[in-house]
Amino acid sequence: MSKPLLSLSNLSVSYGKVEAVRGVSLEVFAGEIVTVIGANGAGKSTLLNAAMGILPAVGEQTFDDAPFYRLEVEDRVAAGLSLVSERRELFSSMSVEDNLRLGAVRFSEREAQARMAGVFDRFPRLKERRRQEAGTMSGGERQMLAMGRALMAGPKVLMLDEPSLGLAPRIVADIFTIIEDLRKDGVAILLVEQNARAALNAADRAYVMELGEITMSGKAADLANDPQIERSYLGLH
Amino acid sequence: MDLTILLFLVQDGITNGAIYALLGFALVLVFAVTRIIFIPQGEFVAYGALTYAMLQGGHVPGTAYLLPIFAFVALLFDLYAERSRITGTFLLRQGVEKIVVPLALLLAARELAGVSTIASLVLTVAIVSALGPHLYRIAFQPLADRSVLVLLIAAVGTHLALMGLGLVFFGAEGQKADALTDFSVDLGPLPVSGQNIAVYAATVLLIAGLYWFFERTVQGKALRATAVNRLGARLVGIRTKGTGKIALALAAGIGAVSGVLLAPMTTIYYDTGFVIGLKGFVAAIIGGLASYPLTAAAALAVGLIESFSSFFASDFKEVIVFTLLIPVLLVRSFASKHTDEED
Repeated sequence: MSKPLLSLSNLSVSYGKVEAVRGVSLEVFAGEIVTVIGANGAGKSTLLNAAMGILPAVGEQTFDDAPFYRLEVEDRVAAGLSLVSERRELFSSMSVEDNLRLGAVRFSEREAQARMAGVFDRFPRLKERRRQEAGTMSGGERQMLAMGRALMAGPKVLMLDEPSLGLAPRIVADIFTIIEDLRKDGVAILLVEQNARAALNAADRAYVMELGEITMSGKAADLANDPQIERSYLGLH
Repeated sequence: MDLTILLFLVQDGITNGAIYALLGFALVLVFAVTRIIFIPQGEFVAYGALTYAMLQGGHVPGTAYLLPIFAFVALLFDLYAERSRITGTFLLRQGVEKIVVPLALLLAARELAGVSTIASLVLTVAIVSALGPHLYRIAFQPLADRSVLVLLIAAVGTHLALMGLGLVFFGAEGQKADALTDFSVDLGPLPVSGQNIAVYAATVLLIAGLYWFFERTVQGKALRATAVNRLGARLVGIRTKGTGKIALALAAGIGAVSGVLLAPMTTIYYDTGFVIGLKGFVAAIIGGLASYPLTAAAALAVGLIESFSSFFASDFKEVIVFTLLIPVLLVRSFASKHTDEED
């Protein structure tokens, strides 16, 4: 395989004295969907936030073959990494259009309009709601807007933190279809999910995280059939 | 009280109210974007007025020297903060922003002092607004993620420092500028001066300009977005440090314009700005540090109450204006739901 787009090695993140992520190594290659599954509080979101530069971390980080460690969040976005956080972090009092426009804040009006047309093709619902305030939309629409806004920056790797959280099953299916479409269009995906079954179905490779450490990794299909995984993460769904 | 006096008081109130509205807007703007309760806003007014008066009188104002000093200190801060990742483009940008522009403005002030009203006006606004971003870099950026209380303490410190620097760079003498124009028109019994008209025009233009900036430009939307959701703003790649600087540049610019408008109407001393800024603050508080229209209405009310109380009870006019805050705060604290600070 070629070199990974995003590579974290031996990454640790601490909240004061508590080490939430311990010595995690993880890679995302171009064109693949990678998922990190694990129980609530295993450190999955912390890991993504550290990769985005929101949380300070110790360890090596490279992106697209360049050291990433010292870059601020804004520079990581410019380099081609985007995060759709669990809380969506939308601009709730602003319109759908303004939210999307700001996703491409570095780009000219013309470029942004072209990208917005692309996002509207992917999420026709957002086009219908373009003038609506983001805060007044349903959970599914807000998730689509958060993904659309992240795509406006043209990421090479899109990190999704619990995209299915709190959504109706039909909408979860829609979101996963869109994730697979994105991969086809050349966006690599790093997906963190509690809905392990859906995540393993969509992903090429998977990591299992427990108490801040990676305990298993491999092909998603293999992990889906692993009896231990089945017992711990799939049984309940 | 006859009709003429009434009209005079109303006119006076609206003129002052318009300026308080501008200052109130600056406070709302800075708070929304940076969460700083910006006590030093009044200093920008004093700096603006004194800079304008000195330029008009043919002197090089102290702010023209203060700017390169501020910029240099900010440069040192940035060089230290970025010491491990300094690149050529970084140095070039820093050099232009923090050495070339301040020195160019100093040179311009030396060349153009006393040449024309327009030149004085433009230079005043340019010099004072340029102070804003450097001030943010030095006093507030290192604290950007701290609580509102810490930022407020820093703001009080900055206010005291700027007042002291005002005394050093402008001296203890008050200054008054010539009116922008001798033009005057009679509306019935009431003469309306060109200065009054300039105040109204500047206020309306600035409000329209701010509206356009925040509603129509990406930069303006980025500032609003930062105010709505700071983390969300960072996640889309908005440089929130940059938005703080833009907010302070705008606030300083608004302060400078207010100062230029006030300078011909009253004598301004290095420490006059504080009380003027506080009245804008009363308006901004009534607007909940959030609503621009409410702030504008409150500012007009403050101006009118001030002008009527200076007629009926001039010794108590400040007392009356500031006492207004008490019922307002009471009503607001009962009306609003208690919310914990987000961080």
